Amino acid sequence: MGETLNIDDLRNRIENEISPLKTLEDLKKIKATILGRKGVFSEYLDALKLLDKDQKKVFGKEINRLKASTEARLNEMETALIEAERAKQEELTWIDITMPGKVPVLGRKHPITQTFEEIIRVFSSLGFAVAEGPDIELDYYNFEALNIPKHHPARDMQDTFYIKPGVVLRTHTSPVQIRVMEAQLPPVKIISPGSVYRCDHDVSHTPMFHQVEGLMVDKHVRFSDLKGILSVFIQEIFGANTRLRFRPSYFPFTEPSAEVDIGCVICEGAGCRVCKDTGWLEILGSGMVHPQVLRNVGYDPEEVSGFAFGMGVERIAMLRFGIDDIRQFYYNDIRFLSQF
Amino acid sequence: MRIPCEWLNEFVVLDIDPHDLAMRLTMRGFEVEAIEEYRPTFDGVCVGQIMAIDAHPNAGNLTVCSVNVGLETLPIVCGAKNIRIGDKVPLALVGARLAGNFLIEKRAIRGVESPGMLCSEKELGLSDDHSGIFIVPEDVAVGSKLAEMKGLNDSVLDISVPPNRGDCLSVLGIAREVGSILNQRAKLPMFKLDTTGSEDVEDRISLAITDTDACPRYVLRMIKGISIGPAPFWMRNRIQKCGMRPINAIVDVTNYVMLELGQPLHAFDYHALADKRIEVRVAEGDTAFRTLDGEDRKLVAGDIMICDGSGPVAIAGIMGGENSEITASTKDIALESAFFNPLSIRETARRLGIRSEASLRFEKGVDRDSVDFAAERAIFLMNSTAGGTVLKGKREIHEKGSGRSIFVSFAKIIDILGVPIEHSGIISALRSVDLHILREEENGFVVSVPGFRHDLEEYMDIIEEVARIYGYDHVPATTPAGAQQVQKRNRKEVYLKGMKEYLTSCGFFELVNFAFFNIKDIESFRILPSDPRSSCVPIMNPIGKDYEVMRTFVAANVLKSIAYNLNRGAKNLKFFEMGKIFFLDGSSLPVEYPSVCFAMTGREREYFWRDPSPEYDFFDIKGVVEGLADRFGLQISVSRSTEEFLNRNRAADILAGETKIGWMGEIRGEVLRSYGIEQTVYCAELRSDLIVQHGSVDAKYRPIPRFPQVTRDFAFYMDENTPVGAIIDRIRGVSPLITGVGVFDMFKKETKSIALRVVFQSFEETLTDETVNALQEIIIREATSIQGVMLRT
Repeated sequence: MGETLNIDDLRNRIENEISPLKTLEDLKKIKATILGRKGVFSEYLDALKLLDKDQKKVFGKEINRLKASTEARLNEMETALIEAERAKQEELTWIDITMPGKVPVLGRKHPITQTFEEIIRVFSSLGFAVAEGPDIELDYYNFEALNIPKHHPARDMQDTFYIKPGVVLRTHTSPVQIRVMEAQLPPVKIISPGSVYRCDHDVSHTPMFHQVEGLMVDKHVRFSDLKGILSVFIQEIFGANTRLRFRPSYFPFTEPSAEVDIGCVICEGAGCRVCKDTGWLEILGSGMVHPQVLRNVGYDPEEVSGFAFGMGVERIAMLRFGIDDIRQFYYNDIRFLSQF
Repeated sequence: MRIPCEWLNEFVVLDIDPHDLAMRLTMRGFEVEAIEEYRPTFDGVCVGQIMAIDAHPNAGNLTVCSVNVGLETLPIVCGAKNIRIGDKVPLALVGARLAGNFLIEKRAIRGVESPGMLCSEKELGLSDDHSGIFIVPEDVAVGSKLAEMKGLNDSVLDISVPPNRGDCLSVLGIAREVGSILNQRAKLPMFKLDTTGSEDVEDRISLAITDTDACPRYVLRMIKGISIGPAPFWMRNRIQKCGMRPINAIVDVTNYVMLELGQPLHAFDYHALADKRIEVRVAEGDTAFRTLDGEDRKLVAGDIMICDGSGPVAIAGIMGGENSEITASTKDIALESAFFNPLSIRETARRLGIRSEASLRFEKGVDRDSVDFAAERAIFLMNSTAGGTVLKGKREIHEKGSGRSIFVSFAKIIDILGVPIEHSGIISALRSVDLHILREEENGFVVSVPGFRHDLEEYMDIIEEVARIYGYDHVPATTPAGAQQVQKRNRKEVYLKGMKEYLTSCGFFELVNFAFFNIKDIESFRILPSDPRSSCVPIMNPIGKDYEVMRTFVAANVLKSIAYNLNRGAKNLKFFEMGKIFFLDGSSLPVEYPSVCFAMTGREREYFWRDPSPEYDFFDIKGVVEGLADRFGLQISVSRSTEEFLNRNRAADILAGETKIGWMGEIRGEVLRSYGIEQTVYCAELRSDLIVQHGSVDAKYRPIPRFPQVTRDFAFYMDENTPVGAIIDRIRGVSPLITGVGVFDMFKKETKSIALRVVFQSFEETLTDETVNALQEIIIREATSIQGVMLRT
């Protein structure tokens, strides 16, 4: 062994090792061959020990410099190879993102149910409790107690389904008013949602439909309170900008009676087929509870007063959703049901 | 009620646009449903007067009329025979347009030039009358444009009169409301009856009434020697605009006065009345009678009849008889004006199915105080349109009714309405609708109710009048006083809403069906007569076979909805319906229960490119039931179902404790086919009230275990007929440390094999192998102690 070390030789050996390097695996092997404990550099460093002091210094510096640059170079290559490997792996996970996804299969509530829930939500927030009554009702509760005497047109066979004399399918949810008032003293603040029945089946009538009835009886309940409550309700259901008007009407069980109209939601008042060019749509009937009705349940009309209102759920659903045929609710066509 | 504004204008001065009027009437409770505009369809027609009628030189059936049109007199060729010298007639000048866009041109008719044409009503588009030239009323000026004639330009208000306001089924009634709106007083029609004749009604006819409850007021007046022709144009025009058909002058007058004053009238041919006698009777038994429409009617006890000396001549207030009808040859007339008991008229009209304009008004009550005024008015109009001589006097029955008066306190008005209206404002509001104050008292007043207001019975009726006139618009919107009460949660509501949410999240769409059955549904579902579900509540007056009884379960309705959708191309359906079911019961009302039914057919989705979706089977519907039970804290068990409509091998009854709360399974093919369904349907129906009763929705926290759980798997061979449920129950019973037993595999080679995964969990400590091993031994021993179960190793 001479007293010098051939650095160029070393450089060439390293170069010969590194240049064919292709994979991460090769790189790891070469790292060991070059930088490892029994690697090329170790060999040279061992040889360095045999040199004299000056030579040691000169060659030692050179070798260490070469070692550092080689190490850096290998690290750089390693990073690049890892990155390339990752990119290659990633390539394999490619999918066509335009293929259809798997949509969860959910059902929907019937639009009548959705409308019921919305109405109940608003009145619950106004402090009204939900009360219920039977669909098959005594004539007394459906008519008599509501001040609809025997000769009233609403009692004609063509309107009312009879189960037997004195027993009917309720024609409105108003009998619940009577049942609730009979069962408790004022204050009363209820709504009663439910099915009602009338002998009518044509383009605009179904033999069964749905109503929500409301009743509030207490000391000093005023007609102006009725306006207040119903205004809040309507603006909650149809939007804060909904115009509404109260118009005198006639119901046997309320007095004064009021029909409530909203500005036509279809034409916004310009006049259309739905509002018959009036710009207004009837939305519910209401009024102050007739004193005779209060007397019929043993309340004293001198002591308490109240208001009542009733609305057709289909009507409200039709306006909210823009449905133009009431029979659609009862065909139960999946293409209809899945729209709401 | 159709009200021509031109007619209304005779009662009140209508200085208001019809649309504004309509809006204000609507806000008074008289909803104007439509405004119909009447405009002439002709143009260029003026009013001329016939000055001379000369023969046409070349045609015997034509004449040449000299027609004065104001500035000139024109020769007009005419073929009509009804014109006389002095008549005012419509003259369509050259360039005029008639109905049907018919253009008048200058032309010669059989050699005589005619610069225009005289027109019939039909040619002017006024009516179908083409029998002669339209004779224009005398008060129309010569030379004026016919299109400007009164009555031809009109707005007709179609008013929905509230059922309690029979008094407003007349022009006068509406005029009273309009008067109140416009601060006017409606004027009654003015006329003077010519009674210079020598004959007296009392000498010509007699009148008797047996029941003054049925008929407290009756007036007979007479006119003799009339000649019946058509009514004058203005009268026919008004009647037509009100939606009635002109017939002849006499009938038209009775209709005209009814429309004008609200009092129906009936004209008898005097000579058809036997014994010249009218008797108002209440029928005592069945009576046959032919009405003037040629129908044979049966009157029964309680019907009010108008009779002559030999029998009925009219059904009071409803329809006259063929035997005393006015005919073209009628000369002398006895005219009836009366008040009949409204309830009785209503009963009879309803039973006979006759809803005439007359009965409509009688059943709401006419104005007893104007009965004779209406008779006079009609006799006057008959006299002026059909000539004849008016007989003096009348025959009448007048049972005086006591006028109603009502006390109302000011405080009550304000308390009910929530508006501080001045006392004077209240009084003047009421006066404007003819409610006069009899006396004022310290805290209120007494108001007298006019005879035409049958709807005003107590103080609240008066308060309503105040509100109506004051205007609902002016009532503020207020918040009710009193403490806001918090409404208690309704347990049932929470459940029902929760069930709907559960089922929709399981992919079921909600149905709403009519709660009716066809009685065939009971047969289709093979419900036995001994089963309460066959005791349907019947409807006395159903509107069709499909709605003849109330349903006793929901599944039949759900199958109908499935069939409906399958017929329209759907293949995969999941539906649920929640609604009432009804059962006959000994008590006065049937019993009603809420029921929930859900059904599935086909598969979850028709296709998905990545993996196929299997067809629904029993375990899909069972899973929904188990999930429902879990969601509502319900402990359920199953047993083989005995329902006849289910495939017994794939059906189960659902029990909560010992109570059957429902069923589930595959509907039998025969049942499905009776609804036209060809594919398998899995269905379940449960009584929702029993779910509420046995379940709980209140969530309660259980601590999360701090120690790890251990799982062990077991495999057993078992006989085909041994239920897996028995093994699971047995294993669960081994130790409280066993918190779960699941089936993770089942297959069959020679024998059935089942693989179970058991979860062990302690809340106190980490389970040791020894503990679990010991339990494992017991599990194997317990499971294999069941007949037909062997450990698979």
